[in-house]
Amino acid sequence: MKLYKLMFLSILLLGTSCKNNENKSEKSEPVAQAEAEPLPEMSVFQLPSSWTTQEGEDIQLEELRGEVLVMVMIYTSCQAACPRLVADMRNIQKKVSEEANKETKYVFVSIDPEVDTPERLKTFAKENEMDNDQWLFLRGDLEDTREFAAVLAVNYKRISPMDFSHSNIISVFDKDGVLVHQKEGLGTDDTQTIEAVEQHVID
Amino acid sequence: MYKLILSGVCFLIMASGFSQASEMAEIEGGTYIPLYGNDSLPVSVENFKIDKYPVTNKEYLKFVVENPKWKKSEVKALFADGRYLNHWKNDTELKSDELENAPVTNVSWFAARAYCKWKGKRLPTLDEWEYVAMADKETADARKKDGYNEFILSWYERPKSFHQEIGSTYENYWGVYDMHGMVWEWTADFNSVIISGETRRDENQDNNLFCGSAAIGSSDLMNYAAFMRYAFRSSVKGNYSIRNLGFRCAQDTNEEENSANEAL
Amino acid sequence: MAILNLKFKSTTITFLLSSLIIVFTSCKNDDEKTKDPEDVKVSQTMNAELTAPPMVPKPTGRRKAKKLVVDMEVIEEESEMTDGVKYVYWTFDGTVPGSFIRTKVGDEVEFHLKNHPDNKLPHNIDLHAVNGPGGGAESSFVAPGHEVVFSFKVLNPGLYVYHCATAPVGMHIANGMYGLILVEPEEGLSEVDREYYIMQGDFYTKGEFGEPGLQPFDMKKAIDEDADYVVFNGKVGAMTGDNALTAEVGETVRLYVGNGGPNLVSSFHVIGEIFDKVYVEGGDLVNENVQTTLIPAGGAAIVEFKIETPGEYILVDHSIFRAFNKGALAQLKAEGKENKKVFSGKIEEGIYQPEGGGIQEMPVDEEELAASRPSEKPGLEEKMELGKNIYGRTCVACHQANGQGIPQVFPPLAGADYLNEDVKRAIDIVLHGKSGEITVNGNTYNSVMTAQNISDQEVANVLTYIYNNWGNNGTEVTEEMVKAQRRN
Repeated sequence: MKLYKLMFLSILLLGTSCKNNENKSEKSEPVAQAEAEPLPEMSVFQLPSSWTTQEGEDIQLEELRGEVLVMVMIYTSCQAACPRLVADMRNIQKKVSEEANKETKYVFVSIDPEVDTPERLKTFAKENEMDNDQWLFLRGDLEDTREFAAVLAVNYKRISPMDFSHSNIISVFDKDGVLVHQKEGLGTDDTQTIEAVEQHVID
Repeated sequence: MYKLILSGVCFLIMASGFSQASEMAEIEGGTYIPLYGNDSLPVSVENFKIDKYPVTNKEYLKFVVENPKWKKSEVKALFADGRYLNHWKNDTELKSDELENAPVTNVSWFAARAYCKWKGKRLPTLDEWEYVAMADKETADARKKDGYNEFILSWYERPKSFHQEIGSTYENYWGVYDMHGMVWEWTADFNSVIISGETRRDENQDNNLFCGSAAIGSSDLMNYAAFMRYAFRSSVKGNYSIRNLGFRCAQDTNEEENSANEAL
Repeated sequence: MAILNLKFKSTTITFLLSSLIIVFTSCKNDDEKTKDPEDVKVSQTMNAELTAPPMVPKPTGRRKAKKLVVDMEVIEEESEMTDGVKYVYWTFDGTVPGSFIRTKVGDEVEFHLKNHPDNKLPHNIDLHAVNGPGGGAESSFVAPGHEVVFSFKVLNPGLYVYHCATAPVGMHIANGMYGLILVEPEEGLSEVDREYYIMQGDFYTKGEFGEPGLQPFDMKKAIDEDADYVVFNGKVGAMTGDNALTAEVGETVRLYVGNGGPNLVSSFHVIGEIFDKVYVEGGDLVNENVQTTLIPAGGAAIVEFKIETPGEYILVDHSIFRAFNKGALAQLKAEGKENKKVFSGKIEEGIYQPEGGGIQEMPVDEEELAASRPSEKPGLEEKMELGKNIYGRTCVACHQANGQGIPQVFPPLAGADYLNEDVKRAIDIVLHGKSGEITVNGNTYNSVMTAQNISDQEVANVLTYIYNNWGNNGTEVTEEMVKAQRRN
């Protein structure tokens, strides 16, 4: 049995190492060419919406093309589940290899853009020690946020002036913005999420 | 003389607006207690306008012709799944046994939204839709009446009800038709419903899937009829195109229909 | 006879197949015998044979655990409840009950649930054979025109009910969305001559029993548990007359009997037979020589009996009005030679004069309920009460309901040395947050807690609540103590 596993693993390794080589040779080519390829139909970058970061910069989602994205929707004044979603994101980032993290971004999208101003997102990032390039905090307008949630299959509803009820889903997108994995629930096993990130960094 | 001409013009406008499709009903805002809400607190709804009828195949065809990116053959999978306009033969023709004046179904939320935008309108919010849907023929809120719930329940059991021309069901208190008894309808924030598909668990307050769920509950569990509507909404995603799911548009009261049909 | 022949053939094939598999897998066979079902390796993929009631798929025999693909479709359709009465059923695979699924311990079931595009409603499936939250209900929630796939490993042998669990659950079940899944033990169930699949269900219609036309579901009657129809296999007469079950004298018959409910418990009985064996509630316990076995709503039983004499055996719910007035009745016709030793038939008829009889009255017991306790709220208790609310709002997500925390991520509060050592530090953390490595009860944690935006009073209450629970040292934290830790 163990032997089987070993064999399987080595096959996997063989497989991936080949891929790795290919990848390296591709990398030397100009990046622009890769981006010129048409977006896959299922790419989240098809959304025309624009967003503001915690630094107050305006961006289109498509500008994130070329990196694996781990995304979650939260709001900063949330006291119940969000701290745990933040912790889940932190754990995933910790467990993903350093190599893979170079090509991965962890993105928080606010479901409460009226309250979550860029300044507030910045403060939140600092409080949670996520104030560097690896982490991105986005806000958009109400319509675009609703649309984005529809793509992620995240449901949310304002239940009081301060609070929302929302799905706890962490999503992984490949470098072309195609949804490749979703993890639902709090503190659930993140092995597959990490695998998804590692795998799509290579692809 | 001048006055006469003016009123003549008015008459003309009214007459042209009579093609039933673009007719909207004025809804006087108010408050209501939704089935799902915040501790059964009343929710207020502003004045608004809503289409009297669901959007038909015929109307949708016009939209598709003017906005080719929403053609069956052109639409991106992110915005509409493989069943998009499945009951159409091709980009511009219905299958032979389909009705032009039946509500258009097999349209995704993204598509419905784009259509309303093109009309200078928007999708109704879930609260707006539910607010209008509470009415029967005589009363604005008929939810406690037996006949009201029975009508909805019996629709659940009637197969292929999408195969009807618009206006076939009753005109409600607001002058709006077909809110029940024809097809499900998209709302702008359909994804604000928090039901996991595991009802027994939704009634449990310790729910890991949703944040803050303790405050969300059903205000009237006996209201099976509406309960199932919420369950349906929670089962769909934005790009789903479903045979029993259509839509109608809404508008804020102060806005006029965009006659120019701004292209998208 | 034809059926017998067929059965013979299929068992040979199964045997051949399984021996082949044994050859293939023998090399890694040695360590599998004693394993947990959980660790059983599956060797191959196969499509599950699914059967409509009253038929049952062929036994798993000696086959190894496999990856078993189950394909099911939800269909909402009109059908006949009894002569002249129509009903819109919601079904798994177009029958009530839905298809019978036969698995073996260790099988990895890959379940495909499809919801027909013309259906109006979302559906899902909760299989009682699943070890996992909701029995698969949540993972299988599917909108019309869509398909979901989820998988599970069957670990416990037995006969289990599956059903739809979409809101409103009662209505989905009342409309026929249930069925049975059998998990055979590793060695398989013993061989018998006949196997059948029967499931009881209660139905609630607008019109009374027998009122013609398309009858809608009646919600009020369902809530009142006032059934119009109680039937086997979805309709009146599903297994009577031409559709009766058959067997021959000398054969052992095994019935897989389930009860979908939604409301009623079945007193399952076969008129004229004694169950030689009952797998009570579908589990491992075998009872022998049973007349009537109770099958709860959402439960099942396996019953076996040998047919000694020919004739017609009637299957009923022995809550007997259901059988004769609501439809809970089926027939098993047995052919073969008379056996006068076992059953003589009528020998003579005479006149009987009763001596009269009294009606016994049951003594009525009067029960008294305990009076509600007077509640008192001294200062500490009130603080605890308020603190509990705050805890439930702001702390519970991470530190959990009983202060146990989450291993490796969020430290425990219950019996926590770090907490009990230093109350000032605890106050400080609540007020100002904490990050970096800490050690609690010997385990290290490295996470971030943000500053909590609550009043001094609230901090005092919640900490008092924490300190006076879960084996902590009972410190009472005051507002002043909190104030002292505020930094300006």
